[in-house]
Amino acid sequence: MLRLCRIGRLGACLGVLAVLLIAGSAPEPLHAQAPTLVRYWLWLDDPTEPMFDQLVKEFNATHPTIKVEYQLVPLSEYHDKLVTALAGGAGPDAGRFKDWWLGEFVKLNGLEPMANSVAKWPGRGDVIENLWNTGKITEAGPVYMLPHQFITFYLYYRRDWFAQAGLKPPATFEDFLAAARKLTDPAKNQYGFGLRGGAGGQDQWLAFMVAGGARMVDAQGKVIINSPEAVKVNQWYIELFRAHKVAPPSAPTDAYAQVLGAFQSGNTAMMAHHVGSSVLVTQKLGAANVGVLPIPAADPAKPATMATMSGNVVFAASKQKEAAFTFISWLSENAPMDKWSGSRQGQLPVLKSVARLPRYSENVFFKVSLDGANYAIAWPPLPGVGYVSAQAWQANMQRALLGQISSKDMLDEIAKALQR
Amino acid sequence: MPLFLLSPALVLLVGIVAYPIGRAVWLSFHRLEILQPDLTRFVGLEHYRALLQDPVLRIALQNSIVWVVGVVVFQFLGGLVGAIILNRRFPGRAVVRGLALIPWATPSVLVALMWTWMLDGNYGLLNDLLVKAGILSRFQPWLAQPWSALPAVILADVWQGIPFFAVMLLAALQAIPEDLFEAAKIDGASAWRVFCHVTLPLLLPTILITTMLRMIWTANYMDLIMIMTGGGPGYSSLTIPLHAYYTAYKRLDFGYGATIAIVQVVILAAAIVLYLRQLRANEGMVQ
Repeated sequence: MLRLCRIGRLGACLGVLAVLLIAGSAPEPLHAQAPTLVRYWLWLDDPTEPMFDQLVKEFNATHPTIKVEYQLVPLSEYHDKLVTALAGGAGPDAGRFKDWWLGEFVKLNGLEPMANSVAKWPGRGDVIENLWNTGKITEAGPVYMLPHQFITFYLYYRRDWFAQAGLKPPATFEDFLAAARKLTDPAKNQYGFGLRGGAGGQDQWLAFMVAGGARMVDAQGKVIINSPEAVKVNQWYIELFRAHKVAPPSAPTDAYAQVLGAFQSGNTAMMAHHVGSSVLVTQKLGAANVGVLPIPAADPAKPATMATMSGNVVFAASKQKEAAFTFISWLSENAPMDKWSGSRQGQLPVLKSVARLPRYSENVFFKVSLDGANYAIAWPPLPGVGYVSAQAWQANMQRALLGQISSKDMLDEIAKALQR
Repeated sequence: MPLFLLSPALVLLVGIVAYPIGRAVWLSFHRLEILQPDLTRFVGLEHYRALLQDPVLRIALQNSIVWVVGVVVFQFLGGLVGAIILNRRFPGRAVVRGLALIPWATPSVLVALMWTWMLDGNYGLLNDLLVKAGILSRFQPWLAQPWSALPAVILADVWQGIPFFAVMLLAALQAIPEDLFEAAKIDGASAWRVFCHVTLPLLLPTILITTMLRMIWTANYMDLIMIMTGGGPGYSSLTIPLHAYYTAYKRLDFGYGATIAIVQVVILAAAIVLYLRQLRANEGMVQ
């Protein structure tokens, strides 16, 4: 009897074990298959903001076959890390991207042309039409970068200082210089304009250059930044610091933090930047004391400013191109776009439907920026733009501001770098 | 058996030191297409010929010499004074010795950002103190003037590096037998003569080795310069490693960037050989 009980218990155990083994080896149901992993890189001007993390969670929840993992990289290191990672075969599938780098990466065959994907994308018609060119090498060529967020440069000015001095907001180069000179008082450490000769100052410089009538390239794409007209405009810009002394003595090396700090602290009366800083500027100085204008033009009949696009790309080395495009095109849909543009990252939406929303059309900073998009000029998609924006412009601008080289020499160096 | 026991160190040496150096030398003879390695081609001495026509390299070389000499000399002098002070007995000496290490322990990026703001030309702390003390009449843009940009960065690095010399020299000071100082005092030697004829000769080996190490580290150190001035204004604070970095990572010309880096290796190697010869000669004199 005892032996039979033992046999029975042993048999029961073996039976349970057998059932467990059979159940464990059953094929998994379809919905448990691993989603396609898409690795995405980006930088954020304010990495503490949770907006993007929320967007990724939302995408992953609504797209169960794709899982996006992202990595935040500071903008100052983004290009270097991207190049190194792609060269080492460890690059992301998709990433946020600047128009500065487009020519360089297309020449290196680093980006996937997206003509077919874009043609099938339902959101295509909602993108502001002329912004497509920021993601192309030629107008007729394929899209390499999906437009996402852009900025156009404008001018902040101290309303209170202008009112006290009896000055009108400047619309021309002449008005701008006159106002800057009147508002400059070195004894009080006050200057008319926060000229940015340090890192990142090339965009502000280009805004004034194009507003002055200079162009980087002609209609055929030939580099003309060192034309006589451009040399004159550049000389005018250099003289703001050297001859008229309306910029702080630190201008040659002032970067964003210094220029913003000087404007916020009441050291400068005017600052050229974009909508990304509007919250910081008005929080510190008060909305009543800060005005915003289009960049003054040499000829008011021919306004111009610069625009720069931060878009999204799929890298040529990616093995998940379709899934990667699904994610980046989702980022450019109405609701995610609105969430991004309305966040502290605060750049301009590329979608017409979002740009029409009251929070943008009735916000003076967004309005001036979006109006500027009608005549804004971007960096040309030349391979040398990456090098110019990363180093060549800064070194040569500083040398020109310090009188070590002439305006022509500076622009000759820029032209040489662009034509690499 | 000896080779077997040495093999882990040899593997590390080859993997971490010899391979990267060999790869850099190989790169200096090639034009690398970073994202299309199949298109990389041999260019012979093209990059080396370009060195002779690179005006920026000449400026970077001059700046590198000023940078290394300025930093090492002032770090040494500051460290020597610090070591002598820390070797004396005074209340709270242990705490002071600990606090003295803070600059050395601070990450370079923080040092650079801190000094950038202290030297700011509009509202920096240094300008404010100097104006209030009547030494300056107005704020100076220390980092925006060619003549002051590199000295300003040298100041930041001297502040950071003094503790290294102080600690090394302090350890060497403490190893000097007290009897020698007592004997010198009994013989009527003044404090200055004790320092010159007892302290300094016995510190010499430590001084020479720490100075050599600091020369090598400082020559290769680019973090501070990159963050504080970016090598500017213009090229006034650009050094050889920073020039190599910009050439490789901003111009994507890795071949020429590697060539510039090799220039630094050759110069440093020559300096170290001369230095070691001098070290051996001085050690002979001390003995």
